[in-house]
Amino acid sequence: MTRKTIIVACGTGIATSTVVAEKITEACKKENLHVNIIQCKVTEIKGYAENADLIVTTTILKDNFGKKSINALSLITGIGEEKVLEEIISELKK
Amino acid sequence: MSVIKYLLDLGAVVMLPIIIFVLGLILGEKPGKAFRSALTIGIGFIGINLVIGLLVNNLGPAAQAMVKNMGVKLNVIDVGWPASSAIAFASKVGAFVIPLGLAINIIMLATRLTKTVNVDFWNYWHFAFTGALVAVATGNLTLGLIAAAINAAIVLKLADWTAKMVQDFYGLPGISLPHGFSAAYVPIAIPLNKLIDKIPYINKIEADPDTINKKFGIFGEPVVLGLILGLILGILAKFDAKTTLNLGMSMAGVMFLMPRMVKILMEGLIPISEAAKSFMQKRFAGKEFYIGLDSAVAVGHPAAISTALILVPITILIAVILPGNNVLPFGDLATIPFMVAMIAPITRGNVFRSVIIGAIVIGVGLLIATNVAPLLTQAATDAAFKFPNGASQISSICDGANPLTWIILKIMYLF
Repeated sequence: MTRKTIIVACGTGIATSTVVAEKITEACKKENLHVNIIQCKVTEIKGYAENADLIVTTTILKDNFGKKSINALSLITGIGEEKVLEEIISELKK
Repeated sequence: MSVIKYLLDLGAVVMLPIIIFVLGLILGEKPGKAFRSALTIGIGFIGINLVIGLLVNNLGPAAQAMVKNMGVKLNVIDVGWPASSAIAFASKVGAFVIPLGLAINIIMLATRLTKTVNVDFWNYWHFAFTGALVAVATGNLTLGLIAAAINAAIVLKLADWTAKMVQDFYGLPGISLPHGFSAAYVPIAIPLNKLIDKIPYINKIEADPDTINKKFGIFGEPVVLGLILGLILGILAKFDAKTTLNLGMSMAGVMFLMPRMVKILMEGLIPISEAAKSFMQKRFAGKEFYIGLDSAVAVGHPAAISTALILVPITILIAVILPGNNVLPFGDLATIPFMVAMIAPITRGNVFRSVIIGAIVIGVGLLIATNVAPLLTQAATDAAFKFPNGASQISSICDGANPLTWIILKIMYLF
């Protein structure tokens, strides 16, 4: 089975994206999914988008480079967190 | 009290892990997990220390050679927010800033003085930064803590004040942005925007974010920016080709590595902030409250990005021509989006206006950053960040150029 690649991006590529990346990693572990996570700034997505299967951001994404994208703001606020994590996992299982 | 003093004198690399471990246990973490995150935080500091060394050792001599050759006196190195945040958290004020900020927030929520539940614990470092500078300037830790508390309270009020505007403009329902750096520019941007409204012709100008993003896209990639700046500085310093190329690579390396090191620090803080977050949400979640987040959630907006991209070359130009500025912009060229994150909604996404307002606050900011450089360098040394002998001073745009930080610092200095 090929590993899926997820881009996790926010404004800094460090702050909120770290929180989201950790939560996705944990959720994937539970599901026994092996994925590559690329963590970066929104302005850097362009450079990684080609090889990505999914783009997850905590900020506004203007151009999703033809890839599926999910807004993960709720992983930061904690409101509706489960639903978004489920959405991400089901996308990765495809 | 002597126990606390002993702890504080151990130095950040030892002190902070101990404090984080204890804080983790208080918040109900398992000892094993708390221990691991405490260790991670200490390691983050060690990593940042290494990269600051790489930056200062390479850029310092180049900056000094440039001063000699060009007569442009930019000998204060902008180490950028990753280093500044580490210095802030590693300071004596930083050790207490999370419980302190949390207490201020809870008191203000309980007394209805704010609607913002600030769950962005990472960015409490801005308050610690102000406090650390005050503590260094006055030699008084208590005054430093008071300054941090005042800063936290003001930022909560600014977040409340701008919440509706931010929610509408960025499409973030229920959110406010109590960000110590971004919010500080709100009280300046609002009158400046009103002023621009009154100037004929100028008040009609608009710029297209898409074109700007295409043309200035390179400024959004810190690694490339670091390489180019390193090469240019090498040439201006009249280094030979070998040294210049090495300087370019080193600066690209700093731009890449510094955030990675801060990421380690962040990972260590996550369990603490998650625990504190659920504590706050249990008590204050609901319709009448805003959730206070990092302005990182807003900087993806095209208007914010394109404004920041244009401001990168403008910042360097201002730094060179502005009399009285000694700061060589570097690390925080990548942080400009945060400066404009709350200016963009005020101008309703008008890039032209945001750039004008941005250029003004950057000009003033560079002077402030020059002014606080000795304090910031001292705070860094106190926090056990090592500088080579005779090295240049350091400062930063975030938060060294922060007007709110500076005003609080000057007021506290009166006491």
